[in-house]
Amino acid sequence: MRPDQRELDEEIRGHLAISIKERIDRGEDPEAARLAALREFGYVPAVRDSMHRVWYSRGFDAVTALLQEMRIGIRSLRRAPGLAVTVIVTLALGIGANAAIFSVVRGVLLRPLVNRGADQLVYIRQSAPGLGAANTTFSVPEIDDFKSRVTTIGAFGDFSTIDFTLVGFGEPRVVRAGVVGGSYFDVMGLRPVLGRLLAPSDDGPNAAPVAILTYRFWSSALNSDPTVVGKTVRLSSRPATIVGVLEPSVPYPADTEIIANVVASPHHLGATMVTGRTHRMTELFGRLRPGTTLEDARAELTAVHAAMVKDHPDAYSPKADVRLSVTPLRDQIASPARTILLVLLGAAAIVFIIACSNVANLILARSVRREGELAVRSALGASYGALRRTLLGESLVLCGAGAVLGVVLAGPLVSLIARFASRFSVRALEVTVDTTVLWVGAGLAMTAAVLLAYVPRLPSSFAPTGLGLTNGSIRITPATNRRLRGFAMTQIAFSFVLLAAAGTLLAALLALQGARTGYDMKQVLAIDLPTIGAIGVRDAKEMAFYQEMTRRIDEVPGVTGVVLGSFVPWRDAGSFPSFQFRVDGYTPENGEENPHARFRIIGPGFFSVLGVPVLAGRDFTDEDRAGNEPVVIVSQSIAQRLFPDGNALNRKFWWTEALFGKPQPRRIVGVVEDVDDENVVPGPAFTVYQPVLQLRAAGRLFVHVTGDPYAVVPSVMQVIHAMSAEQAVERVATLEDVRAEVLAPERLNALVLAGFAGIALLIAVVGVAGVLAFSVSARTREFGIRLAVGSTPRRLLWSVLSEGALIVSIGIGAGVAGAYAFAGVAETYIESMRTPGVLTVLGAAGILVGAALVASLTPAARASHVDVLQALRAE
Amino acid sequence: MTKPADERRRLDLLQGTLDMLILRTLQWGPQHGHGIGQAIRQQSDDLLKVETGSLYPALHRLEKRGWLKSEWDISEANQRAKYYRLTPAGKAQLSREADRWSQLVHAIGRIMNAAPREE
Repeated sequence: MRPDQRELDEEIRGHLAISIKERIDRGEDPEAARLAALREFGYVPAVRDSMHRVWYSRGFDAVTALLQEMRIGIRSLRRAPGLAVTVIVTLALGIGANAAIFSVVRGVLLRPLVNRGADQLVYIRQSAPGLGAANTTFSVPEIDDFKSRVTTIGAFGDFSTIDFTLVGFGEPRVVRAGVVGGSYFDVMGLRPVLGRLLAPSDDGPNAAPVAILTYRFWSSALNSDPTVVGKTVRLSSRPATIVGVLEPSVPYPADTEIIANVVASPHHLGATMVTGRTHRMTELFGRLRPGTTLEDARAELTAVHAAMVKDHPDAYSPKADVRLSVTPLRDQIASPARTILLVLLGAAAIVFIIACSNVANLILARSVRREGELAVRSALGASYGALRRTLLGESLVLCGAGAVLGVVLAGPLVSLIARFASRFSVRALEVTVDTTVLWVGAGLAMTAAVLLAYVPRLPSSFAPTGLGLTNGSIRITPATNRRLRGFAMTQIAFSFVLLAAAGTLLAALLALQGARTGYDMKQVLAIDLPTIGAIGVRDAKEMAFYQEMTRRIDEVPGVTGVVLGSFVPWRDAGSFPSFQFRVDGYTPENGEENPHARFRIIGPGFFSVLGVPVLAGRDFTDEDRAGNEPVVIVSQSIAQRLFPDGNALNRKFWWTEALFGKPQPRRIVGVVEDVDDENVVPGPAFTVYQPVLQLRAAGRLFVHVTGDPYAVVPSVMQVIHAMSAEQAVERVATLEDVRAEVLAPERLNALVLAGFAGIALLIAVVGVAGVLAFSVSARTREFGIRLAVGSTPRRLLWSVLSEGALIVSIGIGAGVAGAYAFAGVAETYIESMRTPGVLTVLGAAGILVGAALVASLTPAARASHVDVLQALRAE
Repeated sequence: MTKPADERRRLDLLQGTLDMLILRTLQWGPQHGHGIGQAIRQQSDDLLKVETGSLYPALHRLEKRGWLKSEWDISEANQRAKYYRLTPAGKAQLSREADRWSQLVHAIGRIMNAAPREE
């Protein structure tokens, strides 16, 4: 039972009473007895403290004292609600943003994968920088070479994606499915939640076709149906049995609903797939053999790959410059999000710094007003530490409240940022609000509280405190003023950095959005018509089906043109390679390869439907069909670059790649304006168009509509489904929306950073306004005197405004210097760092100056309206 | 008032013996802090005087270790006072300390009273 202070006091009182009574009993005078007893006892507080210390440690005392100070702090802040609310909200913004972003960073970049032994998992990628292909994937012969020659990798897992029409779970749909070898799940360290996963016994052409479901598909689309195991579904033409459900895991390399064995996909058993070294469509993973390091594996794989390239010169053109990279799986999955998340983390940190400086300013101003109180306490014997503790108690209350509000704010922010980050890394989908938010919030609040407690100047024992003691009024010292301005400048400098960064992204985005694409963006609908066989040439009967379809859609009211195609601009980017060709009248120079061109299959009237001008010759017609003369249309760049006078019409054209079989001459019948359907930033494009009626391959439909394009969608769907209930119709969107969708990550980046910059700007403007308002109110007397001796109000107005302008200019100067210094450092870590243009810098500076001047107006007006008499009598 | 002569006679307590003296004093029965101080003084024939600044922290320390128990009672001065009582653990501790003390006295005595060695 720990005695409390009262009990200790009582014990001492009892001791003294007994001692006094004894003395009186001995005949001493009562007053003398009392004094003697006290004298004999010694210094009462010291004895009491030493008794107290037996039971209570120093730490306990410190905490108790701090809690007491916090109670006092709450009471005193209640008398300044405006200040308290401003500080709490400002801190909440800073803490909330940081806690939210850190949660996402932790979830995406730091948290371990569910895969067992994930640190041994590597992802192997082949790229061809010469062809601009960041990921060429691997072919089966290449993988076999690795398997037979590499010893540092214990086992390889392969994963390829293919589209199946899935029949058996609701409406027939085209789904993206994974096809894996039997070692895949073992290598990846994944387990089933139901049934079994695929095993080596499922390999080979004689195994039964089986498939497993991914957890997300099973739990969302099938409501976690436990009876699904054993069910038979149809994957395109073949039946397959569902044998299990995969545990929740990162869907990498592709987010599929179903993963099947090789037998389930006829394509995977075909000769092209098995023997074609250039038929690359498989992603490769490996598990390091125990005891080997990533470097060992990298060295060996690179060596084997180099030998492979040497052995098969026909499969690796020197121009392609094929390379191999080996990365830990975890880094591979997180890396696309790394840069943007680190940038956001930086932005959040800056917002926190700005918020702290702003709060520091407010607290500093408040402590100047409290100087009288602190001076009195100091004079009464309060130690330096006790005064600090008072300040710390108050700042703890403020920061604690800010942290609570910040954590509340962080909850929804986390899901918002996670959704945003999921565009870069699938791992962000798993991010949830967890205790990280709390820890970060509490940590930041503590940091802020301690910093803030050390901001105000305490009454110094060397400086005379007489003035403060006597009248308790505001005395703003030059030192305090310098600090206030210093904090305001810090805020401006950091806001400038954020504004410039956001401005750079916005400028880039505006340039992208404003770029002319060459298409009629608003009135053309693009529709995916996934075909039953994944790839391939259809027979005449199926072609007739599509022709009939376009004819019927053309009759829908509002539709002014319909055409088949093979490639939706931007959305299908990267899905179709470029091919080599030659033309009559152009010979490549020695040692130079034949030119490459994009290959597009289009229906008759394609260019008029999409609004692309035909510059010379003609569009395709219904007569350009199988059996008639083979024809092509080329883009303007081809005509101008390959033909001296730009006249390509009626020249002969050949594809030279083996894929096209025996080179067959085709006549160029038209030249159209360049449209860049691969890149959102349009550039010159070598494109060759061939008529769909001569190639019979189409999977995209383009519909030109007058009026609201989406209004005709139901009628178009009706027409298609009336002809075939099995034909899937997907991803209907205008070209404008397709492009907007592709630009969405850029837009989000810009928006998020602009949001941060906006918050920073707001806080900084409040900060500058606060400093000036405080400086004006502290100088009321000075202004009164100046007015009394003949200064004009206009002059006073200007002096305050110029004080504001000075703070902002120095802040911006520091911001520019700091930003360029930082950019230099950041460039070495972050690829594609962009240095802001002069216009952006000027714009950011302009916004800050403007905002600061607006913020200075109120205090300045107040200074010029000081009532002389009142000001002079004020003290 | 103590006379200067008394002050000169007074001995300082040996380090670590206060606890033992307190425990020993309480062997006669419960007592309050003032009484304990008086008892030590009287029994040492005024040679030992315990300062309240040492006595009270020692009492609380012994109570915290479970060797003493305290309870409030009305003192002879008709004042509420805290009375300390020896616990069984305290008794055991006292006999341990007494043993240790006599060994120490014996050992020091042997050194101090040793006959000079023959060379």
